[in-house]
Amino acid sequence: MDTIIIDGLSFALPLFIMAIGGIYSEKSGITNLALEGFQGFGAFIGAMSAVLIANASGAAVENMFYVALIFAMIGGMGFSVIHAVLSIKFKANQVISGVVINILALALTTFLTTQINALVFGAASDKFRLGVSERFTIDGLANIPVIGAVFTDVYPFEVIIIVIAIFAWYVLYKTKFGLRLRASGENPQSVDAAGVNVYKIRFSAVLISGMLSGLAGMCFAYSISAQFSSGIYMGYGFLAIAALIFGNWRILPTLAACLLFGFAKSGGMYIAQAMALPSSFTDLFMILPYVLTLLLLIFFSKTNRAPRALGEIYDKGKR
Amino acid sequence: MSKDNKKTSLRYRLLWPIRNEKWQPITIPVASILFSFIVAAIVILLLGKNPIQAFYNLFQGAGIFPKATYAGYKSMLTDFLSLLDAMTPLVFASLAVAVALRAGLFNIGVSGQMLFSGFIATIIVGYSGLDAFVAKPLVLLIGMIAGGLMGGLVGWLKYKFNIHEVVTTIMLNYIAQYVISFFIHNYYIDPVSRQSKYITEAARLTLVNFEFANLKMDIPLGFILAIAVAIFVKFLLDKTVVGFEIKAVGSNRDAAKYTGIKVGSNMILAMIISGGLAGLAGVTYYLGDFASIQPKVLTSLGFDSIAVALLGNSHPIGIIFSSFLISIIDQGSTYMSSQAGIRQEIASVIIGLILLFSACGAYVKHKVSRLKEKEVDRKDSES
Amino acid sequence: MSEYIVEMKHITKRFPGIVANDDVSIGIKKGEIFALLGENGAGKSTLMSMLSGMYEPDEGEIYIRGEKVQISSPNHAANLNIGMVHQHFKLVEDYTITENIILGIEPIKKFAGLFPYVGIRGANRKIEELSKKFGLEVDPTKKIADLTVSMQQRVEILKVLYREAEILIFDEPTAVLTPQEIDFLLAIIEGLRNSGKTIILITHKLEEIKRVADRCAVLNKGKLIDVLDVETTSVNLMAQLMVGREVNFESEKTPAQFKEEVLKVEQLTVKNEDGFEVVKDVSFTIHSGEIFAIAGVADNGQVEIADAIAGLIKASGGKIFLNGQDITNDSIRNRTESGISYIPEDRQKFGLFLDFDLSTNLGSKQYYKKPFSNKGILNKQEFDQFGTQLIEKYDIRSGQGIKTQVRSMSGGNQQKAIIAREIELQSPLMIFVQPTRGVDIGAIENIHRMMIEQRDQGKAILLVSLELDEIMNVADTIGVIYNGQLQKVASSDSLTTNEVGEYMMGAKHE
Repeated sequence: MDTIIIDGLSFALPLFIMAIGGIYSEKSGITNLALEGFQGFGAFIGAMSAVLIANASGAAVENMFYVALIFAMIGGMGFSVIHAVLSIKFKANQVISGVVINILALALTTFLTTQINALVFGAASDKFRLGVSERFTIDGLANIPVIGAVFTDVYPFEVIIIVIAIFAWYVLYKTKFGLRLRASGENPQSVDAAGVNVYKIRFSAVLISGMLSGLAGMCFAYSISAQFSSGIYMGYGFLAIAALIFGNWRILPTLAACLLFGFAKSGGMYIAQAMALPSSFTDLFMILPYVLTLLLLIFFSKTNRAPRALGEIYDKGKR
Repeated sequence: MSKDNKKTSLRYRLLWPIRNEKWQPITIPVASILFSFIVAAIVILLLGKNPIQAFYNLFQGAGIFPKATYAGYKSMLTDFLSLLDAMTPLVFASLAVAVALRAGLFNIGVSGQMLFSGFIATIIVGYSGLDAFVAKPLVLLIGMIAGGLMGGLVGWLKYKFNIHEVVTTIMLNYIAQYVISFFIHNYYIDPVSRQSKYITEAARLTLVNFEFANLKMDIPLGFILAIAVAIFVKFLLDKTVVGFEIKAVGSNRDAAKYTGIKVGSNMILAMIISGGLAGLAGVTYYLGDFASIQPKVLTSLGFDSIAVALLGNSHPIGIIFSSFLISIIDQGSTYMSSQAGIRQEIASVIIGLILLFSACGAYVKHKVSRLKEKEVDRKDSES
Repeated sequence: MSEYIVEMKHITKRFPGIVANDDVSIGIKKGEIFALLGENGAGKSTLMSMLSGMYEPDEGEIYIRGEKVQISSPNHAANLNIGMVHQHFKLVEDYTITENIILGIEPIKKFAGLFPYVGIRGANRKIEELSKKFGLEVDPTKKIADLTVSMQQRVEILKVLYREAEILIFDEPTAVLTPQEIDFLLAIIEGLRNSGKTIILITHKLEEIKRVADRCAVLNKGKLIDVLDVETTSVNLMAQLMVGREVNFESEKTPAQFKEEVLKVEQLTVKNEDGFEVVKDVSFTIHSGEIFAIAGVADNGQVEIADAIAGLIKASGGKIFLNGQDITNDSIRNRTESGISYIPEDRQKFGLFLDFDLSTNLGSKQYYKKPFSNKGILNKQEFDQFGTQLIEKYDIRSGQGIKTQVRSMSGGNQQKAIIAREIELQSPLMIFVQPTRGVDIGAIENIHRMMIEQRDQGKAILLVSLELDEIMNVADTIGVIYNGQLQKVASSDSLTTNEVGEYMMGAKHE
């Protein structure tokens, strides 16, 4: 039972912060299917920095976590510039742009990983080994029955994510930037008429989504994967999108959706282990989050309302 | 003012190759390809290698240019046939993407549909021992039906529950991948290769090691079918009522409904056709070249097909050319890697770049027409 | 210091293909109501867009309070105390009135002296005071989605007042209002002038100018024709100058000859997506040779009635009969076949495939049957022939004939194409929803003439329009709708404009 909560949380929270990035982008009116690519590219930059710095300084890669996190956020943000430029400046179809970025991210990171491994380490490896970041347990609270699991074996990134999430909520709903951002996704003309630059707002929203996705990708790489490889492209980005759709583009309900996915995943694994099924059966339990996504979408898609101007190309000059 | 005019007309002159709107469907993709190769050349230069040599190797590996030496029973012809063999599923897959695109839908699930149809055809026909004359057509038929069903499901979910097809197809990709992996591991595994057991030669869509003129070649039976299907798809889209309705739905869903077209059934139909084409891609892939399925792996071909379809302007004939090019990059990369010492993965980077530049195509088109308008105005005001 | 608060000198603005303003010079005095009169496309909105910072002029100079300025953005215009009340409201439906008004100039408070946040409460108070001061009372915490059109317009006015505008530009402010709401608005505008504000009124309605404006500039095809003193100029002269020729205000119309019943609507009820009844228990009949018009303020269910008859939305109750046949549950295609033509309100969204060529669009209602196709195979020559015929017959102008992409055609010609296609179906029932929206006066006359022609040929015509003048002009029978219910059905001769207006407001009913 405890492992369900512990593993569930450590999966759900990175998903959640990525979904928040998606909410920022989509609330500003830019469809974002590129989360998958952002998190992969961010994790790549983070992992590469960690491995290279560790190599240069002689420190252990496991201890490079915070450095990696920062570089991953920068990397994710840098890569998201492509989506921003394509869909805002070049007025490309936002779905196509997202798909293009996901494909490009996979191709680029795979190529660069092998290339860097060969150049720096002289080994033909297609992954960066990272290990798992250290965890901590809050002694007193961890002893509470059931809920105690929340405070047991916590990854530091879980705390970071919660802090950032609260800040993200505050910015989106309480500040003028948030007010303008949400208006851009509903009626960009009104924002423009108020003398605010819609393009700038949307550009920053997409960059924020890239930054948060990079953070999420790095968390995955330092926990469940323990490495960076093309295996990071497991569809987490799309799960995050599904989560924000159930969440009706709102932050708290999206958290609930992410927790559901997290517990479905860890619960499935747990059942497979508890029933002592052969390892091949884990494949069947792996589909749980995806099946759940489809089922929930069937129930929620009709009632949910996307931002009104989502995916529409905004052309200021249009009369 | 006049300075500005000069700048405009210089930019205008620089754009002469892609200025003619009639030729833009061809000139813009060609420009994208050229740009991608230029970028790739810069990367190769930075790695300290010779890009011209590398690209030449790429074409050698694909059987377009002759290699220096060949192993026994091999020649440029056998390499070329292997290229066609690899190209066959790509043509089908790209047509699948294109048909969906014309209906305004994004079929990102081609890989999953390929896997599903390949798997179903494998277990029904692949191990059955049926005669080749029965087995081969049956494989094609089953592939088409299996893919069509999966595509149709996506269309139905979109119509009935308003679920975005991109999300559905991706979820189905993962579900298919894991469920099929489960079945292969438990029932069809070859303990040595860790893949599904090889299918019988009778069910295969590639004639392997066909001996002719002292050469052993792989003859892709599906290739002719792929070309024929491309022509058929063109006919369907351009000349028939069904095609008219699909394109109308893709162009403007509200207007299509107003015109009296059944939007929902046309979306489902388009996805069935798209899935059916993906199914053909699946059987020519898994029951052609490979004759076996690697569990838990989705072929990247399903995603490359998006690039091919975009590059070919979602036009069936354009797709034949663009899949030819992408296949060359894919097929030649191994040889390039061994000859020029450049990592094979750069091939997918080149494809990714082509895709990236193609995505900018709409903007380029828009810019060119704006420049043109300005140029006309400038001439007007001067005269 | 010149006598003018706003001076625009020799303004020229070009867009690709057209000269929107050609050497226009005007001067506006402080504290007057200055009207800009002209047809659609005469360049009045463009001229004012340059004053409100949306565009910059290609040539010419702008002086505000005697100082030369280059107005580069709406913000800059706001700093010069210039504000524009847009024709198409620019409001976020999900936001409250306050949130809409403060957007862009949000008052910032600090939480714990550190975290800035938007001070909504203070803004609410300020807006309430402002709204009382100018007689525009609103509840600032209400959401836009819950407001009527005229209330939304008040929000737009408050928006510019909140930005301390001294020069207010009203762009066609009465287009969507009832006669009574128009009275109220004009009173507000006069009140604003009396409190010292300068008003610029863009309009093509002569009557309004006569009622409130002090002076009036007439534009035609981008050129300034004249600046007139309103009091000493006759309406007819203004109209003549605006159009560039003598105009006939009323369509020539022979008396109607009603024949057999074509459309019968019985207790029709329609629900919208949220399950809310937007059409309630509506019944009426239309005869061959009759133009039946539904009058009403926007969003009172009139478009839904048309959509329900054409089959675009489902009726949740009641029955629809066409030539005696129950078509309530028929598909759209079957209804077209049984004899319904439909000119939709939003021609680009519903009426046309903008990326298809003209001949394809003209044939798009008949592509599935002979001679356009045979056994599922399309006959392209037939499309081309049919298209060529219609282009000639209806005078549809386009760059490359039948091969023109419809997107590149002008709004008026797009509308002609739709009307041509629908008339050619030879349907006994023709539905026109807002057929003259956004087309110029010449085209309006033409469309009215065609409607009457069709009526005289024995068609039954359902007209849905927000323009009361249009309805009074062409309708034989008028049904007035308010809040989804028909308030009054009567022959057009027996109703005055004011009466219809009262029914439209729900102020009067039977």
